[in-house]
Amino acid sequence: MRRGKEKDLRRVMSRRGFILAGATVSMTGFLAARLYYLQVAQTSRYRRLSDRNQFDVRVVPPVRGRLFDRKMRLVAGNAESFELRITPLYADNLQETLKLLATIVDLPELRQAYVLDMAKTLPSFREIMVRDDLSQRELARLAVRSALLPGVSFGKSLRRIYPQGALTCHITGYVSPVTQREIEKDETLEIMPTLGTGKTGVELVFERNLRGFPGREKIEVNATGRPIKVLSDVPSAAGNDLRLSIDIGVQLHAAERLRRGRWDTVELGSHEVQAALAQDAELQAHLAVGDNMILRDGNDRLVPAESGAAVVMDIHSGEVISLVSAPMFDPNLFTGRLLNRDWRRLNEHPRRPLLNRVTSGLYAPGSTFKMVVGLAALEAGVISENTEFFCKGERELGTSVFHCWRKGGHGVMNIVSALEQSCDVYFYEIALKTGIQKIRDMALRLGLGAATGVNLPDEKSGIIPNHEWKLATKGSVWTPGETVVASIGQGYVLTTPMQLAVMTARIANGSKAVAPSLLSKSADASSDFAPLNISESALAIIRRGMFKVLHGAAGTANKYKLSKDYGGMAGKTGTVQVRRISLAQREKGIVKNIDRPWAERDHALFVAYAPIKNPRYAISVVVEHGGSGSSTAAPVARDILAKTIAERGVT
Amino acid sequence: MSLWRTLFRIPWHIIVLSLLLVAIGAMALYSASEGSWQPWAGRHAMRGAFGVGVVLVMAFVDFKILHRLSYFMLIAAIAVLVALLVIGSGPNVARWISIGGVSFQPSEPAKIAIILALARYFDSQPQDRMQSLIVYLPAIGMIAIPFLLVMKQPDLGTALMLLLGGLSVLFAAGLPWRYVGGAVIAALVAMPVLWSQLHAYQKSRVMTFLNPESDVLGAGYQIIQSKIALGSGGLFGKGFLMGSQSQLDYLPEKQTDFVFTMIGEEFGLVGNLFILALYLALSLSILRVSFLVRSRFSQLTCMGLSMMLFFYVFVNVAMVSGMLPVVGAPLPLISYGGTSMLTVFIGLGIVTSILIHDRQED
Repeated sequence: MRRGKEKDLRRVMSRRGFILAGATVSMTGFLAARLYYLQVAQTSRYRRLSDRNQFDVRVVPPVRGRLFDRKMRLVAGNAESFELRITPLYADNLQETLKLLATIVDLPELRQAYVLDMAKTLPSFREIMVRDDLSQRELARLAVRSALLPGVSFGKSLRRIYPQGALTCHITGYVSPVTQREIEKDETLEIMPTLGTGKTGVELVFERNLRGFPGREKIEVNATGRPIKVLSDVPSAAGNDLRLSIDIGVQLHAAERLRRGRWDTVELGSHEVQAALAQDAELQAHLAVGDNMILRDGNDRLVPAESGAAVVMDIHSGEVISLVSAPMFDPNLFTGRLLNRDWRRLNEHPRRPLLNRVTSGLYAPGSTFKMVVGLAALEAGVISENTEFFCKGERELGTSVFHCWRKGGHGVMNIVSALEQSCDVYFYEIALKTGIQKIRDMALRLGLGAATGVNLPDEKSGIIPNHEWKLATKGSVWTPGETVVASIGQGYVLTTPMQLAVMTARIANGSKAVAPSLLSKSADASSDFAPLNISESALAIIRRGMFKVLHGAAGTANKYKLSKDYGGMAGKTGTVQVRRISLAQREKGIVKNIDRPWAERDHALFVAYAPIKNPRYAISVVVEHGGSGSSTAAPVARDILAKTIAERGVT
Repeated sequence: MSLWRTLFRIPWHIIVLSLLLVAIGAMALYSASEGSWQPWAGRHAMRGAFGVGVVLVMAFVDFKILHRLSYFMLIAAIAVLVALLVIGSGPNVARWISIGGVSFQPSEPAKIAIILALARYFDSQPQDRMQSLIVYLPAIGMIAIPFLLVMKQPDLGTALMLLLGGLSVLFAAGLPWRYVGGAVIAALVAMPVLWSQLHAYQKSRVMTFLNPESDVLGAGYQIIQSKIALGSGGLFGKGFLMGSQSQLDYLPEKQTDFVFTMIGEEFGLVGNLFILALYLALSLSILRVSFLVRSRFSQLTCMGLSMMLFFYVFVNVAMVSGMLPVVGAPLPLISYGGTSMLTVFIGLGIVTSILIHDRQED
């Protein structure tokens, strides 16, 4: 019995032994299966994860191409800026460290929250950029406290600077951080987070040339993020530098001169100015965007600098020597973190400093359009140099009466004297005989009604109407009365200051359909343009009229001759009504511009070329609500041309 | 018994298997220190040689001494564990004891003491009572007391090993199936109680194991990096000294608990399966000894030691491959650590002694 039990138990234990052996084998099989799953079935996934651990591909952002003016003065460059970075792994307490940092440098709570967020998603050994625009002073303050700030480190990066500031803002445009929309269009931007892209101006138009190509560094890193060795290294290719056609000397003068208009500047610091500033919201808005020019107008009021546009171009090469749109803004505001405050000030400014008036501002050309009408009539054979009309101060057409700007009329006029004195009635007559279609054709040949193709974004084409245009946009037929209104550059006609400069340049050039460019060209590049194909004799007659505007006894701008030292100039005034004048107002006598609210005053325009013999430069000036073309715009144009010739010469 | 007879009876295949594992360990530790015998690989190899010496010496010791000393050893082990809890060597972790400049973990000899004591206990029980639960209750106490003491240290990994080793002796002794089933149910019921007894870091380890991606940079880091290292090793591995995860310090504890991962990264599935095969062979070799010996004490001791060794391997590999929470269980003979290696060799020495002095045909 006992032996039997003993045997029994031995059997039980042997069985248990086999069960244990079986369990051992099957559990080993289970482990083997698990290892097979990890090391064979899933190996590519884990290999990828391992590579991501092991290698850190750093994108080396390219150095952006610089912009120079035609004398190789820096217009847009790259300055070193200091970055503040933090490595969560080494920071004892990230939140505390950030709080401490905020007491030393400017670090808004929002940014702190951003860093904490990043720390949650990134491996702890990765550096997180806290600030990319440390000032030297902040850097110094941090450096002495660095012992208290574990995990905090510094780095260098480049940021865009515009040393000329606001002066070239509408030419350069600006670079600002990459937006989500840009990344959607061009995903290579995503891996270059510190690199900004051109948002407007030359920076946008030449983005491809300026940006360059990023380099790549594949670095082996250990678990603490320390680089072990550089495995491959593709250097970045810097963007191309560009030499612009702009002359900073002329640009500086033009900006000052345009904004001064016909008034005098006042000292900002004076008690009077401070008192006026305290209550004048318009002046405050002006100073807030960095414009510190304040004028004393004819009624002894303190007013902000004039707004408008001035553009000077070479009539042979098309190079734009100066391009000013006022008011201006500081493009450096956009290169880093644009403050909400600055953005609001720029955006809410009543005169819209961000608008480039030269290419995107639309103005009725007023009397500067009369050259177009005259040329169209001469070419059509409707008139000759000697064809005369009588101006009695108004012209009836059906039931309507169209007035000349001079109430008493000009008497007998021919094409030259009509340009000289800007007689409206003469152009009513010849426009009616020529017809709107031929006027439009001539306007287009002179560069109006279409974008000029200058290297700036968002250029407007303006409007040069005709029958079809009116039918298509207004749904009604063209009337002769509208031809009358169009003949003096009002009504539907809209142009940009750039187009008016091109028009003037083509009239002065006479043979080539010159087109503007912001890039500096070599001396022999002038023959690239298509022939203009306008009769030279007709052009000579028009130019004589423009000469008479300044040099005739009754010329509308004969008080503003360009000195003979510079070879003199020929031009045309334009005064554009922005409000219809009612019959009642006309009878009462028109209220003087200066006594009207600013927004109701006339725009002052002037186009000119110089020198008279062998012309070289064309200019167009628009002073918004500046009064009359002769008294406000003509002297501005004269002074800018004088400066241009003084700086650049005429050969 | 003559010297030659003894030497002839020594299970040399067991010694060769263990030396192979020690050699693999030395190689892995050489790689873990970026190609240097310092600080781990050289000492590991020397300890291995010493361990084999211990086995050879124990071959001449009659196993009956172990039988006689087994209860005393268990009591001594428990006493040291209690003392350790009272004095403690670290602020929170009381695992080490230092005698004459040599530090060791008393929980290691406790493992062997439990198995020996249980084997003696069941050896002394009359055969006809083996079906009754009463017989097993003192045995459960013998497991529970050191288990709870080690849990308290806290050393979840070692405590688990004590438990599994002890329970496998109970099972081998013939614990009726109904109690096996009951124990499983009891364990499930005890789980929440046990859970509440765990330290915060142990709980977080378990939680992390259940969802490692929830805490990529904290406690889940080890598991994730270990899986990446294993998985990226592929079939044949990245080559000796070429494991980027290990060499670039992404892999934590690569010289101790995660050494298997490191081998897997550098030698791939092939290397890992080779090691598993060695362990299986070693465990089964020890288990086989239990079929060759006479006394129940000898049988149960061999079964218990075999299972304890295997459980170490299983828990470690399951842990590093992300199938069990990180509990802190070294890989026997390969992981760096003097006490654990010596314990394994003492276990092998006991098996050798039993085989030589308690063979059935004598």
